[in-house]
Amino acid sequence: MKANLPIRAIPEEIASRESVFVVCFCFLFSIAPHFRHLPLWVSGFVIIALAWRISQNLDRVPALSKWILAPLVLIGGISVFAEYWTVVGRDAGLALLAVMASFKFLETRNHRDLLILIFLCYFLIATHFLFSQSILTAVLMLITLIVITTTLITINQRDDNVPIVSRFKIGGRMVAMSIPLMLILFILVPRIPGPLWGITSEQRAGVTGLSNSMSPGKISNLILSNEVAFRVEFKNEVPAQNKLYWRGPVMAMFNGRLWYQSKRESIDRLNILVFEEPVEYTVTLEANGERWLLALDIPTQLVEESVLTADYQLTSNKEINDLRRYTLKSRLNYQLGLQESADYLKLTSNFPVRNNPRTVALGRDLAQRYENPQDIVKHGLAMFRDQDFVYTLNPPILRDNEVDRFLFDSKRGFCENYAGSFALLMRTAGIPARVVTGYQGGEYNSVGDYLIVRQSDAHAWTEVWLKDRGWVRVDPTAAVSPGRIEQGLDDALSSKNSGFRIKNRSPIFGNLLYSWDNLQHGWNDWVLDYDHRKQSNFLRDLEVGIDDWGDMILALVAMMLFVTGGYWIISWFRERPSKPEPHEIYFNQLLKKLQKLGLEKPPSEDTRAFLQRVQSRGFRQPDQVVKIINLYNLIKYGPDKADALSLSELRMLVNSIRI
Amino acid sequence: MLFFLFLAAINYQNSMAFVLTFMLTGLAVISLWQTHKNLLGLEINLQTPRPVFAGESCEFIYSFNHQNNAFRYAVGVQYANQAPAYITIEPEGNARVVLKIPTRKRGQFRPGGSVIFTRYPTGLFHAWGFLRFDTPILIYPKPVSNAILEETMVAIDDGETSTSTIEGDDFAGLREHRIGESLRHISWKAYAQGKGMLTKTFQGQVRPSLWIDWFSISDNSLEGKLSHMTALVILAENENQKYGLKLPGATIDQHSGTAHKQACLHAIATFRQSDLNQEFEPDEG
Repeated sequence: MKANLPIRAIPEEIASRESVFVVCFCFLFSIAPHFRHLPLWVSGFVIIALAWRISQNLDRVPALSKWILAPLVLIGGISVFAEYWTVVGRDAGLALLAVMASFKFLETRNHRDLLILIFLCYFLIATHFLFSQSILTAVLMLITLIVITTTLITINQRDDNVPIVSRFKIGGRMVAMSIPLMLILFILVPRIPGPLWGITSEQRAGVTGLSNSMSPGKISNLILSNEVAFRVEFKNEVPAQNKLYWRGPVMAMFNGRLWYQSKRESIDRLNILVFEEPVEYTVTLEANGERWLLALDIPTQLVEESVLTADYQLTSNKEINDLRRYTLKSRLNYQLGLQESADYLKLTSNFPVRNNPRTVALGRDLAQRYENPQDIVKHGLAMFRDQDFVYTLNPPILRDNEVDRFLFDSKRGFCENYAGSFALLMRTAGIPARVVTGYQGGEYNSVGDYLIVRQSDAHAWTEVWLKDRGWVRVDPTAAVSPGRIEQGLDDALSSKNSGFRIKNRSPIFGNLLYSWDNLQHGWNDWVLDYDHRKQSNFLRDLEVGIDDWGDMILALVAMMLFVTGGYWIISWFRERPSKPEPHEIYFNQLLKKLQKLGLEKPPSEDTRAFLQRVQSRGFRQPDQVVKIINLYNLIKYGPDKADALSLSELRMLVNSIRI
Repeated sequence: MLFFLFLAAINYQNSMAFVLTFMLTGLAVISLWQTHKNLLGLEINLQTPRPVFAGESCEFIYSFNHQNNAFRYAVGVQYANQAPAYITIEPEGNARVVLKIPTRKRGQFRPGGSVIFTRYPTGLFHAWGFLRFDTPILIYPKPVSNAILEETMVAIDDGETSTSTIEGDDFAGLREHRIGESLRHISWKAYAQGKGMLTKTFQGQVRPSLWIDWFSISDNSLEGKLSHMTALVILAENENQKYGLKLPGATIDQHSGTAHKQACLHAIATFRQSDLNQEFEPDEG
């Protein structure tokens, strides 16, 4: 036999117009949410290419030849490179993908090309998750997945008469059936800690959060964002609002305008005296693209893959580009850094002498006036409290000697103005001081029993070093606007920007929002943060004896087989042949009887022709057969449903046939 | 692609990318099973194709039916390397699909190259089955275009005189034009075909019968002779003559009618064919 393998034998097949059209739509649907990430020219190009392909489908425009497309592809690639100066990484990669897929549409002719484009759409879903992994994105992508799968089914169905609703039903059912399989794989496929290759930092462009330097305006920009910075579950009760100082980057360096971080090594031993039991809590930190892990007040414990610097800032070993979850212990009552190094104390007393002459003069004056440094601190705070300082989100923009202008002229500022100018004032008076940035407060979610800390809770305060007390937190903002610390930002500002705190809403709506946030927190905790650590913990807690990779793969295969076997049984049950109706049973009895006489009725033969054959063969009871066939046709094709009487008549007639 | 997605998911530690990878894996598993299920329980029959002359297209009519309460989409049928045809079969329904297969060689064959396949629903997997049918395919030799029923083949039958005249009721055939005969009786159709000046002959009550004899065909090659004989059978049948067939080792008595014609053509088609169960190969040209 000549071996023609059927797989290879199918000739290249030209895609039908309908298929091209649905795939165009599918691609547009999959890429549309990316239009806000793509440069305008790329989005425009995608739309023009698809419009061209659809017009080509309608015979309005000709197909572009290879000789036109090839140089255009080259220009497209170069343009992407010119835009990003790279073609790898998330943003450039996405742009390249969009441009090249559009070209693929222009040269698509075969059924096979369409399949490739649909798989590309599936791939596009993954790229969306590099931008956002929120619940809403997930829901949108689930819909996209159904659309793509339905498109795939449509072009493989090769039947233009199937209504679109049943196509979506088939696609939706397939996606729904894959969810249990996905869950099994998600839980059981052994996770490998990443990354496998380097991720460039642009991947986190646009993430809001604290910065590694502080200048006026930086934090007040953050305040406008209601994005969640992190969520905290306390093991015991939540400390009072005015104790909730979340420590972020510590700035010990000042250049006259900008506060920034010094390079400090990690500490080898804690330089702290404690007076209370530690507070234990778990933080779920949103990606911030930086290295700092936020901690309550003074953390006295390390978390994995991190160091504690000498200024008690918890720093991750790598950038936090994904959700990070860690459990910590912190002290709220302590004496910190009593034995501080002389070098560091000198560093934290430095200031540029030429800038801010009025502040420098005031500091020197204070140093002469008071013997006890504590009195200088008190004087500074009193100055903020007693003079007409205003706490505002929109302070006037100041140039040159900003601290001078703030302290003596405008007297209007936000926490960073207060923290920065207070630290400088202390330094000029001879007291070591540094600025700590982070978050203050948070909103308690009663539905999920955890604290939500948003970017709008960003704050800056000061720490001064006193000889017998070590580093002491002084929050000058509290002196100006005590409400900011006691009740939170909104009460302090009462501006129109205060809408995003849930507690400001009506109780019912507020509860809904708390539930929604709780859902997001669970999503973060269970879906986004499910990594190799969580996996092994989860499997251990299940106590089903899945300990290593071998067990996991075994369980995985077994469960996959179980689920697909279940599907197989359900579909077998649903699709099993329906029971023949009574008249069919009787008719088959007749056929069987006639078969014994050598009169066989092939399914294709119609009853009239068969009847003629029966008659021509000289069957003894031709009238009986005629009656049966007429009655059978009446029941089968007649307008009324078969009634019991005609059915029993049919049965009797069939029984009366004698062979 | 799945593997690439998986690597990307590990690299970015992106949980939703994992979810997507596993979701697509699940879709693939389900698709594998559904592709298989799409062909399961199908009953396929091939109707005996109507005999054709070599070079013509033979119509293969496949009929499908199944008893399951499910649609069967994009069921493809293909013969050898010919273009496939796709059909949808309704739940517990039946459907027919016709493939037109070009033929090349005369003879009787077995349709061995039928394949039923499907790639529904995702195009990722290919399920197929070979179909073996015992239905014979009969392909007659391609008739030559220039065959003429010559008078020499008209033989005396049972002492009855066969008279061919140019006058009469029934058209009897053509013979060479003789000078002096009326131009009215010239077959201009044959003339136009380049067969020379032929006179139409008619006959009265007497029907001559004729033999289509292997040994009287002047063509040298075997296939050529058979093609010639095929043409003669068709001509004779069209002219409503009684004719018989003489092949080396086989003789079919004189008769007329469709059944007789088919018997003659069958004998010619399978002449000296050693294996009547040879697999049918379509014309790939």
